[in-house]
Amino acid sequence: MGSATDKLTALVADPQRFSFSADELRATQVAALDERFQERRDRIRLLAMRARDAGIERITCIADIVPVLFPHTAYKSYPESFLMDERWDKLTKWLGTISPYPIEGIDLEGISGIDDWIERLAAKGYFISCSSGTTGKSAMLIASQKDMDWSKIDTVNVFSWGSGVEPKQDRMIVGSAPVASVPKNRTIAQAQYDAYANPEWPRWNYPVPPITVGSLTSMVVMRKKIADGTARPEEIAAFEETSAARAKAIEDAVPATAEHIIAHRDKKLQLSGMWNGLWQVAKAVRDRGYGRDDFNPDNSIYVGGGLKRAQLPPDYQQFVYETFNIPSDRQFQNYSMQELNSGMPKCREGGRYHVPPWIVPILLDKTGDAALDHTHGEMEGRAAFFDLSLDGRWGGVITGDRISLDYSPCQCGNAGPSIRDNVARYADLEGDDKIGCAGTVDAYVRGVA
Amino acid sequence: MNTSVLPDAEAAEPVVSAPFFLRGEVLHGTDVIQKSRDLGVTFATPRIPFDRAVPPRTEVPPLLNVPLAEIIDFLVETGARLLSPDNDHMQECIERMCKTHILPRAVVENTARHAAAYLNKQTLMAEVEQNFSDPRALDTWVPRQDYTGRKSFVRAFAPRLIHVLPGNSPGVSVKSVAQGAMVKAVNLFKMSSADPFTMVAILRTMADLDPGHPIVRSMSAVYWRGGDEAVERVLYRPQYFDKIVAWGGGDAISNVIKYLGPGFQLVSFDPKTSISMVGREALANEATIDEVADLCSADVMTLNQEACVASRFQFVEGPQEDVDRFCERLHHHIARRAAASGDVRPLDMDMREQVEAMILMDDEYGVWGRTDGRGLVIRSDEPVDFHPINKTANVVRVDSLDDAVKWINVATQTVGFYPFHRMADFRDRLAAGGAQRIVHLGEAGPSTIGNPHDAMYPLHRFVHWMAHEDGVEGR
Repeated sequence: MGSATDKLTALVADPQRFSFSADELRATQVAALDERFQERRDRIRLLAMRARDAGIERITCIADIVPVLFPHTAYKSYPESFLMDERWDKLTKWLGTISPYPIEGIDLEGISGIDDWIERLAAKGYFISCSSGTTGKSAMLIASQKDMDWSKIDTVNVFSWGSGVEPKQDRMIVGSAPVASVPKNRTIAQAQYDAYANPEWPRWNYPVPPITVGSLTSMVVMRKKIADGTARPEEIAAFEETSAARAKAIEDAVPATAEHIIAHRDKKLQLSGMWNGLWQVAKAVRDRGYGRDDFNPDNSIYVGGGLKRAQLPPDYQQFVYETFNIPSDRQFQNYSMQELNSGMPKCREGGRYHVPPWIVPILLDKTGDAALDHTHGEMEGRAAFFDLSLDGRWGGVITGDRISLDYSPCQCGNAGPSIRDNVARYADLEGDDKIGCAGTVDAYVRGVA
Repeated sequence: MNTSVLPDAEAAEPVVSAPFFLRGEVLHGTDVIQKSRDLGVTFATPRIPFDRAVPPRTEVPPLLNVPLAEIIDFLVETGARLLSPDNDHMQECIERMCKTHILPRAVVENTARHAAAYLNKQTLMAEVEQNFSDPRALDTWVPRQDYTGRKSFVRAFAPRLIHVLPGNSPGVSVKSVAQGAMVKAVNLFKMSSADPFTMVAILRTMADLDPGHPIVRSMSAVYWRGGDEAVERVLYRPQYFDKIVAWGGGDAISNVIKYLGPGFQLVSFDPKTSISMVGREALANEATIDEVADLCSADVMTLNQEACVASRFQFVEGPQEDVDRFCERLHHHIARRAAASGDVRPLDMDMREQVEAMILMDDEYGVWGRTDGRGLVIRSDEPVDFHPINKTANVVRVDSLDDAVKWINVATQTVGFYPFHRMADFRDRLAAGGAQRIVHLGEAGPSTIGNPHDAMYPLHRFVHWMAHEDGVEGR
């Protein structure tokens, strides 16, 4: 990495890292963006093409980087047929167009499925994470060992800054969400365990079959087969059966987790999960007759992600905190995404997500084509970020999120850029009732979602 | 202090009034503020006066005893008025569409002309004659007798229809009015947010001609946001309507489906994908390649590929080297047509990403043109994942057109075919796969007047077939 980049990433554990204003950071960030661009432009083939098309030679201001940011969809640009036909050679080649490091030395003989392919890549230091696209394709994000090492440090720093909970290895960690078994998630879970868990108490993993990339993509593959008309009735019946069994396992995991929590209510707990699962577990605990008075007032909680369209009562957060006796100043939340390698923790005083110095936030117009003229105050737009810490893929990404970014100091006293707690996905905001006669066979596929 | 700056501030946009039409009367109002993303406008509508939009079943439909010939005359008269420069209702609509439509003005104006052209006496009569073995059943109770001597009268009785209209297509609005009138239906048109104006403009044109005409008294047009339960739970009932005539797929249809039941049926015009099949005869020599590629480009570029009949996948039979020569010419002709229409919309982000991945994987794919919206051809061994749109052709190379048949699916509408003499050999297999039309390559647009649409004769399905049994002869 270059010197400007190093300067910014060196702040990873600095307790004052969120205090630098955007104005203070700008010159270093621009220099770091240019360093990153110069280092990577000839190594990432997609970036080279973008830079050539846009005629970009150097980055002299933040807006210069916009034409070479990758939309989040860039990581799902592989043809689905490669998955369906298990063309690992072609899929590997596709990965090579977005990886800064040549993908070499992978044994492609006799691969039993996508999970096997991903394991073989991991063995050679190429770590693939998969976003859990619900009906469509999954994004495949490649990362390096360096990125895994960074995640390990960042996740602990982010949580302790945002929650005020110090890493003292004194808690029992209880997972309350089915988590995709991808290298990044496993690394983060392990780092959290090492920092916060009493080593004598194993982590409670949500008792559901592991969600692998293979299980995520099997849905995509089935959907495509149905659309093509090649899925046989017996095949669909078997798929429906598997889906039902999986749904049942998730349902059964709630009482089992509640039972575990009740059995260990004397211990200091660190709950982790997403709102939907946490609320359901809390409800099961209450239904069993337990609540606030039964739990340690020093308990903590790590909530990731939003509601993901789950329907919960309006007081769901309050309900969860109260059930497990979690102090009101520990309401940790983190804004991040699989595409980035670092988190943006929410402060407790101002309730805003704080952007660290090594992430350059850029507000774009709704379509994601151009940077908005935003130098001070709060403004709304499409979020784009450049995560300077990323090593194993290009750090610049255009998200699907609508955010309000503020360059003014936050109530919590930090002067760095912050994001209002009203992040929304453009895809959820739209849903116009426009209809037309031209359309795809997707409209004819029922029930694979 | 509030320092927020909202670039999308809705207050800055003008609010356009979108009135309703209720059986001859225009209802203005600003009770509900709606947003049209496509038109980029905020529009205000009245609340739906349900009782006025749904006449009771105790009323005989106003058109029932108006002769079909008279209905058609009125429709033809309407057609002549639609594009008249002094028709302010329509001019305003066309103007608004041209300003906001994704396609250039000339293309939009052309669609409006096409729409009006449907209101032609011969065309309308052909529709009726193809839909009904005995069109008299629309005008009268037609007597018949079976071989046992049992007698009856049969009537294609006026139905009660809700039409869920697509946006951006004045053609569908005009056709829906004409078909609703010819079957003498009581009609309620649900307009789309993409165009909550045109249908009302058409109906006001009719009301200007004769405000008391039974056609005018049979038509209402309103807007509500698709899926709005407060409206749909009220209206979507067999007590009020016999059939719901809906265009599109996805949410538009799944919203409707939950209300279907005995007595309330769906007639759906489904979203469709069209393709081309090009035999090796096309690759015989350079001149033929160019000629066939030009025909093919005409199908790709139908309504600049916004229409369902526009070809998206082209299955071309031959060795890769020859197929690539075809691709080069196809790209030339698509780009030529694109430039002539002045349409240079950029590709959407998702599709652009996928195409660029293909450019980078150049030993698997051939790509002619760039992702700049000026015309693009992608050659692959099987259809690409995305829906080729915005002047994009996906040429799928096959050894034999027999291999292309497996890609026909239930969404396939039109198959443009070359050479013409091989069509008969394919039509049964295409139909079995789900396709609906096979046409000469280059002629995806036109169809023989009165031919089935969406694998059915729609008018025949619209009507409420009623029998009057009249005993047995001589008994």
